Amino acid sequence: MFVTDIRKDFYEVVANQRVALLVAADIDALCACKILQALFHCDHVQYTLVPVTGWQDLCTAFLEHKEQFRYFVLINCGANVDLLEMLQPDDDSIFFICDTHRPVDVVNVYNDTQIKLLIKQDDDLSVPSYDDIFRDEEDEDGDGDDSGNESDGGSEPSGKRRRFDEGAIERRIERQRARREWEARRREILFDYEQYEYHGTSAAMMFFELAWVLTKDTKDMLWWAVIGLTDQWVHDKITHMKYVTDIATMQRHVSRHNHRNEDEENSLSIDCMRISFEYDLRLTLYQHWSLYESICNSCYTSCSFKLWTLNGQKKLQEFLADMGLPLKQVKQKFNSMDISIKENLRDVIEESSNKYGMKDIRIQTFGVHFGFKNRFLAGDMVHAAAALLESTERDESDTTDNFIKALDSLSRSNIEWLHSGIDLAKKKLLAIQQTVASCICTNLILSQGPFLYCYLMEGTPDVKLFSKPLALTLLCKYLLRAFVHSTRNKRCKLLPLVMAAPKDVEKGTAIVVGIPPESETSDKKNFFGRAFEKAAESTSSRTLHNHFDMSIIELKTEDRSKFLDALITLLS
Amino acid sequence: MTSLSTPRCFWLVRFAARETAMDPSEVEFLAEKQLVKIIPNFSLDKIYLIGGDLGPFNPGLPVEVPVWLALNLKQRQKCRIIPPDWMDVEKLEEMRELERKEDAFTPVPSPHYMELTKLLLNHASDNIPKADEIRTLVKDIWDTRIAKLRLSADSFISQQEAHAQLDNLTLMEINTVREFLLDSLNCMYKLRSNLQPGSRKGQLTDY
Repeated sequence: MFVTDIRKDFYEVVANQRVALLVAADIDALCACKILQALFHCDHVQYTLVPVTGWQDLCTAFLEHKEQFRYFVLINCGANVDLLEMLQPDDDSIFFICDTHRPVDVVNVYNDTQIKLLIKQDDDLSVPSYDDIFRDEEDEDGDGDDSGNESDGGSEPSGKRRRFDEGAIERRIERQRARREWEARRREILFDYEQYEYHGTSAAMMFFELAWVLTKDTKDMLWWAVIGLTDQWVHDKITHMKYVTDIATMQRHVSRHNHRNEDEENSLSIDCMRISFEYDLRLTLYQHWSLYESICNSCYTSCSFKLWTLNGQKKLQEFLADMGLPLKQVKQKFNSMDISIKENLRDVIEESSNKYGMKDIRIQTFGVHFGFKNRFLAGDMVHAAAALLESTERDESDTTDNFIKALDSLSRSNIEWLHSGIDLAKKKLLAIQQTVASCICTNLILSQGPFLYCYLMEGTPDVKLFSKPLALTLLCKYLLRAFVHSTRNKRCKLLPLVMAAPKDVEKGTAIVVGIPPESETSDKKNFFGRAFEKAAESTSSRTLHNHFDMSIIELKTEDRSKFLDALITLLS
Repeated sequence: MTSLSTPRCFWLVRFAARETAMDPSEVEFLAEKQLVKIIPNFSLDKIYLIGGDLGPFNPGLPVEVPVWLALNLKQRQKCRIIPPDWMDVEKLEEMRELERKEDAFTPVPSPHYMELTKLLLNHASDNIPKADEIRTLVKDIWDTRIAKLRLSADSFISQQEAHAQLDNLTLMEINTVREFLLDSLNCMYKLRSNLQPGSRKGQLTDY
C-alpha cells in the first residue's frame, strides 16, 4: 500500500526500532541512503546498512537479517517484483520500499499489511484498479457449492429438481464464461501494465521531502537530493520534461535555504555550503579538466561534431576558432585558463554552438561551493561517485568496499575521495569515447531487424570497465547517439540498441543491456526487460536476471546466438 | 586549574616539572565545560547530572548549557547556538589593539577563548555572524600573546632570571610552552650544577 503521511506512517514507526537498510548500487540510492542516515543520526536510530547489487544479494541479506530485524527499508530495489513471494518473510516483517523502478508490482500495491510503498500515488503510476485484477474468492466457492449440491442431489431426480438442475447448469456455464472473459481481460491489462519499464521520481528527493516535513533539512541533504536527481538524468532514466519539473521543485528549496541564511550584514563564513542554480554547459567535468578534453569526451558535443572522423576534428578546430579561443588556452586545465576567457565562456559557447547545430548545449543544474577552492557541479559528483562505485582498480573489486567509498565521497569532509573519483571518471569517459569511436569506425553495430546489436570483443581495451551495469549503460547510450548521428539509414535511427560485453572470462558469461531508441521526445520506456525474459524462456538459455533493472541480464556466452535469434523473432 | 592563571602559577609549574605537558585535546576537553547559551527546538524537563543540573528545555527559550552538550545538540539539529558576548568583531578588534600595545599580557575574553572559538566556528559557523573575521581576529590575538610568551621564556632562560610574571595566561597558552620551558630550565640547572666541582652530582637524576 502507499504511505500517505510519510512522517507518521514511516519515520515515527521506525524511530524507536532497529532498522535494516537494504540499498541498491546506484547513485540515487546512495544519496537517499545518506539523507536517511543523517536523519537517523539526529534521532539516534539504530540501523544496519547492507548494500545489495541484485535480487540474489537481496534474498541473502534478508535471510541473514530476518531474525534480528522486523523493519526493512529498501532503497531503489524491490518494487517491481512480488516481494513477498520472493523473500517469503514472516508475518511480522514490514517492508518500506522507496524505489524508482516502475511499474510497481500489483501485489505490492494492494498488500495492506506488510508492504508500505514510500512513493507518491500520483507519481506517474497508472496502476490497474483492484477489481480488474483480483477477484473475490466467494464467487468460486459459490460455484463449488452449487456443483457439490448437484452431484449430491443427482441420485434423486424429481420434476422440480430437474428444472432446478437445468437452471443451475445454465448459470454455471454463464459464470464460467464470464470468468474466462474476466481472466482474459486481466491478462491483457497486466501485460500492458508490465510491458514497459521506466523510472519515477528520485528516491533521494522522496527522503529530502521527509526531512523537510520533519524540518530537519539541511543544505547537505538538499545537495544530496540534487545529486540523486542529476544521477537520473545523467544515466538517462527520466525524460527531459520530468527532469526540468523536478529541477524547478529543487530550485524552490534552494532559494528557501539561500534566503534563510544570507543577509547583508551578517554574511556567512566562506566554509559554509552554498548551493546555486546554474544554467551551465553540458560538458562533462569541464571545470576539473581542460575545456578541450571535455568537449572531446562529452557525449553531446562529440556526437554532434562526429569527432571520430577527420572532418569532425576539423569542425571542432573551426568551432574553437569561431569563438576566438586560442588552442593553448583551451588545452590547459580549466582553472588555469585566463580569467578574461572564463568570464563569459558560457554565453560565447552557447552562441557558437547554435551555429553548429547544438541547440541544447546548456542545461539547468545546480552547483555547490564551499571553502575557497571547492566548486562542484551536480553532474561532476554523479560521475565521480559512479566511477568509484564501479571501479575495477583493485583485482578483488569488493563491491561493499566500493559502495562505502562512493558513499563517503558524497560527504563534504572526504574531498580527496571525490577528487580520486573525478580522476577515475575521466578515465572512464576516455575509455567510453575510444570504444565508441572504434565501434563506429569498424561498423560493429549491426542492424538485426527490430533492433541494433553490438558485441564488445574480449580483447577490446578497457573491456573490464564495461562489465559493470552503469558503465555499460552509459556506453550504450553514447554509442546509440553516435550511431544515430553517423548513419544515413533513416529507419535505423529509430531502432533501440542491445549491447553485450564479456563479464567474466573464466565463467564465460556476458552482460547484456537493452536501451530504448534515441529520440528528442523519447519517454524512456524500455520493453527489453520482458523481451529478455521471454527470449530466455523460449530458448532455455542460461541467463541470470539478477539486476534490479530488468533490462540488464547476464548470459552464458555460448547461448548468445540462440538468445539473439529468439529475441529477433520475438520482436519482429 | 583556575589557579594556573594567577601570578602564583609560576611555583605550581615548577612543581609539576616531572609531568609531561598536557595533550591539546585534553585542554579542549576541559574547555568544553564552559557554559554557552543555546535556543533548543525541543522540550525536556530538567535533567540532573553529576556535574550539575541542566534545563529545563523549552522550544524557543534560551538556556545555558555546557559546550559539549551544545555541540551535540547542534549536530543533531536540535538547537541554535548563540555566540558568547565576547565573540563580536568590534570587541575583538579592541582587544587585539590593546594586546599589541601592552608589553604584559592583557585580560582574556574567556579562560578558554582559543578552544571555544575553534569548536564553535567549526560546528556552528552558520549561527555566528562574520565568522571568518572573528577567526582571523582571535588568531591575531593568539599570535601576539604567544609571541610575548616566547620572548619572555627566551629571556627567562638566557638571562637566568629567578621569576617571571605570567598573569592572564590561559591554560592552552601555558601548555604550548610548558614542556620546552621546563626541560630547558632543567638542562640549565644541570649545566650550572656541573660547573661547581665535587658538588651534588650523586643527588642528581638524569633527565
